[in-house]
Amino acid sequence: MVSKLIQISNHEAENPLDITLREAFSLLERKLRPPFPLSIPTKEEYQNLNRAILYGILCEPHLAKVHIKHLHGIITDGYQYFTSLLVKIVNELYVKLVEPVKRQLIWLTHEMVNVSAVGFDGLLVALLRQIVGGDFGEENLHLCFEMVNLFSSKWFYLLEEEPLVLTGALYVFLRLLTDHFRVSNIPNMESLRKMESDFCVRMLRYNFSLCLKIGRDLVRLLQDLVRVPQFCAVLKDMLYNPSAFRVDGFTDISQLYNTPTPRWYFSLRLTPEMESQLTFLLTRVKFGSQKRYQVWFAKKFLVLPERNAVIIDIVRFICCAHHSPNDVIRSGIIPRWAVIGWLLKSNMKNYVEANTKLALFYDWLFFDEKVDDIMNIEPAILLMVHSIPEYIDITNSLLEFLFILLDNYDPERKEILHRGISAAFNAIVRKHMVQSLDIFASNMIYPILKERLGKLLRHAVPEAQHQSRNIKLAS
Amino acid sequence: MEAEATVQPLISIAPAVQNNINAKFIMLDKGRTTVEWNTKTCLSLVADDTAAVHFQLWGDECEAFEPGDILLLSNGIFSSSSGRSNNNHHHVLRAGKRGKAEKVGEFAMVFVETPNLSEILWGSDPKDSRKYVQQAVISPYSTIFRPVI
Repeated sequence: MVSKLIQISNHEAENPLDITLREAFSLLERKLRPPFPLSIPTKEEYQNLNRAILYGILCEPHLAKVHIKHLHGIITDGYQYFTSLLVKIVNELYVKLVEPVKRQLIWLTHEMVNVSAVGFDGLLVALLRQIVGGDFGEENLHLCFEMVNLFSSKWFYLLEEEPLVLTGALYVFLRLLTDHFRVSNIPNMESLRKMESDFCVRMLRYNFSLCLKIGRDLVRLLQDLVRVPQFCAVLKDMLYNPSAFRVDGFTDISQLYNTPTPRWYFSLRLTPEMESQLTFLLTRVKFGSQKRYQVWFAKKFLVLPERNAVIIDIVRFICCAHHSPNDVIRSGIIPRWAVIGWLLKSNMKNYVEANTKLALFYDWLFFDEKVDDIMNIEPAILLMVHSIPEYIDITNSLLEFLFILLDNYDPERKEILHRGISAAFNAIVRKHMVQSLDIFASNMIYPILKERLGKLLRHAVPEAQHQSRNIKLAS
Repeated sequence: MEAEATVQPLISIAPAVQNNINAKFIMLDKGRTTVEWNTKTCLSLVADDTAAVHFQLWGDECEAFEPGDILLLSNGIFSSSSGRSNNNHHHVLRAGKRGKAEKVGEFAMVFVETPNLSEILWGSDPKDSRKYVQQAVISPYSTIFRPVI
């Protein structure tokens, strides 16, 4: 029996998940037509029946209504097993699914939300992760449309049942909008942008207390949309008129600045395949042997100029969501800073490069050891230090960017940024993250940067007094 | 999946006239496709975490596999390159008529580029003329596909 679920290319091995579903279907096919038996299945039979019905719904659209009735009739676990199979299909097979199956999958997802299936939130998240950033192909945009349509149409229900998944959708659609607003001449883009914008604005205007859960990266994403009037208005209210959101206790944007974004959000803009390749690179590949892997990764995910905006999301993910355990750090595996250094050297548009640097330094701006993880700021300092002397242009441009952020990111709250960056340097010195900051006294660092850094460190890092003195002397 | 359990490390293979090599490896590099005797062939560099070897693609295999692909070879053969009659020293791995190569994954496999079994001079074993043994190392790395550094 040939797979009706996925496309398998010539010389490609069969997929084990596809095989188990197909086998269950061919074994039970005769029992999938009414009248359905009334006997109570064993656990194994139950799971097999779940697999068979799932295959039937996805691959026999004309009989989907019969299959789904059957499913509703046999379910005894709140659809938990069925949903877990769906999540597995989305995570492992989505790209390979044939077109009609993808359509059935969306229909089935609506059904699972309607019956409040156990784990339907995980299914929605899995689908959100399949939307590829910077991919303006018809299929990918269709998935965007289906998902924003689902989130908008089930709005009140989701708000009641799984509010957190709405914040995940907000994170995803705000990020997608920054890409979607940068292109023109793509059919139906305008209507898609409108749906995405309406969803996001509705979240921000009517459920702001929920949006606060995203933390500081909410501001990062909104700032990238500042050219879009309705988002500019939201941002202005956050800065100057916080009471507009009618959330008790929200009195200043700094409350968001001070809230680190939970790790979960960062994985939302990486496909599972991208995440697993990155994780492999960062846990198994020795420093010095990474070149071929980098070429393959770039060829697969970054080759088109509009695709490489995902580097912003990758850098955020590496800083905040991938923290290498100590045994990996000690075993000569390629360190996080080196992967980020490689990504920064990609051929990027200016706004992608600036946003990538912002992604790298974002937690520095508001660093507070009480709530922030020092591992989030580690890649930037190690990248700056290890780039001296060979890649000094990276060190200089990063240091310069850090001071640009300090001066311009939020001029009215410069004090907060100053405190954050100072606290970051302070923690770096106290935790011995680098042997010494003396290295910044190198003559290869631009004198003006050296002077500013020396001044900052003198006030920020009493423990590093001698170091800041050195930097000053050398300048 | 069954074949997974029986795959052998590349370092353990030696030239033989039998189609009995089962191995899993990642493709690192691929050369140009050429047509000889009405058959398309293409040489590639593959490796696992023990050794590298030149793997010869035949027919539509030439387009089916790309660098970064993880392949599972069943019943393959390691013998002197039939495409280069003037070079009996060059041993290559291939699926052959009775074997099969399939893509089973991408990217997530560690590898070494040395030793390269195709850059070894193999000779018959003085104790058992049916067997081959390593006589000399021609080059530690592939002389056709250079390491990327």
